[in-house]
Amino acid sequence: MKQSRAVNILFVAPCVFAFVMIIVIPFFFGLYYSVTDWNGVSNNVNFVGLRNFSNLANSPDFVYSFLITIAYTLINIVLINIVSFVLSLVVTSKIKRRNFYRAGFFVPYLIGGIVLGYIWQFILNNILVSLGTTYSIKFLETSFLSLPHTVIWTMAVVNTWQYAGYIMLIFVASIQSIPSSLMEAASVDGAPFFSRVLHILLPMMANAFTISLFLTLTTSFKQFDMNLTLTNGGPATRFMDTPVKASQLLAMNIFNTATANRMAEAQAKAVVLFVALLVVSLIQVTVNKKKEVEM
Amino acid sequence: MRKSLLKMVALSLMVLMVAGSVFGAGVQETSKDVTVNMFQLKVEIKDAIDGYAAKYSAATPGVTVKVETLGGGADYGGALKAKAQSGQMPDIFVIEGRGGYDIWKDYIADLSDQSWVADTDLAFKVDGKVYGFPVAIEGYGLAYNADILAKAGIDPATLTTRAAYEKAFQTLEAKKAQLGIDAPVAMAASVAGGMWWVAAQHNLATYWGGGLDFNDTSIIEMALKGRLDDARFLQYAKYLQLLFKYADQKILLNGSYDDQVGAFAQGKTAFLHQGNWVDPNLKQLGVTFKVGYAPHAFLDKEQKGLYLFAPSWYCVNKESPNAEAAKAFLTAMATTADGHDYMVNQAGMIPAFKSVKLQPAGQLSQALMAANAKGGNYGVFFGMLPDGAGQNVFGPIFDLFAQNQNNLDRFIADMKRAVAGLPNM
Repeated sequence: MKQSRAVNILFVAPCVFAFVMIIVIPFFFGLYYSVTDWNGVSNNVNFVGLRNFSNLANSPDFVYSFLITIAYTLINIVLINIVSFVLSLVVTSKIKRRNFYRAGFFVPYLIGGIVLGYIWQFILNNILVSLGTTYSIKFLETSFLSLPHTVIWTMAVVNTWQYAGYIMLIFVASIQSIPSSLMEAASVDGAPFFSRVLHILLPMMANAFTISLFLTLTTSFKQFDMNLTLTNGGPATRFMDTPVKASQLLAMNIFNTATANRMAEAQAKAVVLFVALLVVSLIQVTVNKKKEVEM
Repeated sequence: MRKSLLKMVALSLMVLMVAGSVFGAGVQETSKDVTVNMFQLKVEIKDAIDGYAAKYSAATPGVTVKVETLGGGADYGGALKAKAQSGQMPDIFVIEGRGGYDIWKDYIADLSDQSWVADTDLAFKVDGKVYGFPVAIEGYGLAYNADILAKAGIDPATLTTRAAYEKAFQTLEAKKAQLGIDAPVAMAASVAGGMWWVAAQHNLATYWGGGLDFNDTSIIEMALKGRLDDARFLQYAKYLQLLFKYADQKILLNGSYDDQVGAFAQGKTAFLHQGNWVDPNLKQLGVTFKVGYAPHAFLDKEQKGLYLFAPSWYCVNKESPNAEAAKAFLTAMATTADGHDYMVNQAGMIPAFKSVKLQPAGQLSQALMAANAKGGNYGVFFGMLPDGAGQNVFGPIFDLFAQNQNNLDRFIADMKRAVAGLPNM
């Protein structure tokens, strides 16, 4: 069937317009502002070259945020994918009420990050701590959010609770698309459950892993809302002999810089975040794609 | 191919034109009447100021004042920037100190010739010229629960040196069970609870201004050049250490504003490190005990004053054609009976103008007003620091000191380094 070109363009135009105005133009403006000293208001914008970028390497709070974001991302990728995979095995097995479990595990994903942060903050700071003090359980008496070495892990656990259900759905779809004859044949041949998972399920799900790793990588790297409400960057810790905020991830560092009217510096940090994310996710997708099998 | 390109261009132009006419529609003025747009950030006075603006508009022919409020954790600065960029800069807007002035100075009108200037000590001034109308007086000392102190046999009037505080805290600590308190002080310092400003802004301000003349900015100017007064800072750090040591540790390290104020309101602590803005909270929480302010006396010598400041100022947009009408509105607020009634009775604020004779309802506000009348108070100068210094630099230092309270030397060294970095911020 021949479609009218004008109709095609008409359908695409609103999206293209929005995309150009909201993503493309601001992106190049952003690149430009990152090499100036703009404060967000002044019409007097001076070109300062790469000064904003070279300052970043010497600012302990930024270096710390960068490293802690990488650590947080790694913890998250491992935790979320393992938990989601186990969940997806559970809800595709023959247990009763598996549809109820599928829905149940997915529900946390529907709660917004802001609300979720406040809920977990209350659980961690108030409920767990008062349980700890009432029953004299030593390790619960101080909140996990108030210790610099546990706060990142706590955030990763909360994020896993939220995100695992979503990734689980991707895995479930992938598992269901594998012809049951494969698994049945293996089972008839006497392959135990773990061998079937390892040698049939995992290779057949490689394309799902490409997607899930990409999603967990990018969302963890850009994490902001839950970070703001759950920890607000706190508590403080020492890094390069300077007190810094122990759980201030990169996106929040950028936000705090921008709200202090240091727009150009914040923009330079955002460019670094963009480049880092681009490089890492390109590598991840390329490596994963090689592992995918064609039917 | 060429044809489709042409069509594409024509279509994009059409989309642009439609968008332009939609967005442009709002700008047109229908009458010659002046509309003064005000954009302010105190959510708690929204109803009061809306009411006053309506009253003023009704009483002033040809002038309509419209107030838009955004605050309470929302990003006022960001919203104001967005308005400026889209050509909708309000006629009256708010700055919170020197940082805001530096950002907005291209827009800020000189108000030196206004009639209210002589009536206040807290106008925002740069190089002797007045640029901001003080929204209110806020202030703080160490708020105390008079009932608990009386039961413990402590006279709040004696709390004028660090040694006196140490003795009082020790007495309270020893009688904790008998008084039914968890700790002597409700103090907050945590980045996590969003409470860095109590310690790293308000408490640190006692070092900048305490014991000096009300307008003496010598200590903070020294800091802006990168240096601390070592002897003075040591005394301050010892006082801070004292507050941390006798504070409820859970609130100190992880508590929120509600946790801190709630503990004091329920009689679980004898002292509260907060300003008079907690009056409505205390009322809400049903506080019946008598409350007063003791000075933050960190020096070895006596200190009796409280810390008073204007937290924010109204500025007039000098680029606006309605600048004169905006100035008239502010003048009416400061000089008419209706304006005074709005500030004190409707908004519950302490006006920064001496001619106002009305009394605010809150106990802490009354204590501040009495102190203001008595004189001998100290200025609060953290607004002179570069933007972000409190939140991003001092905040983590105070949080870390709260975690390691015995490491006084480390805290002093950290602060020295941070202050040395101020000139480059």
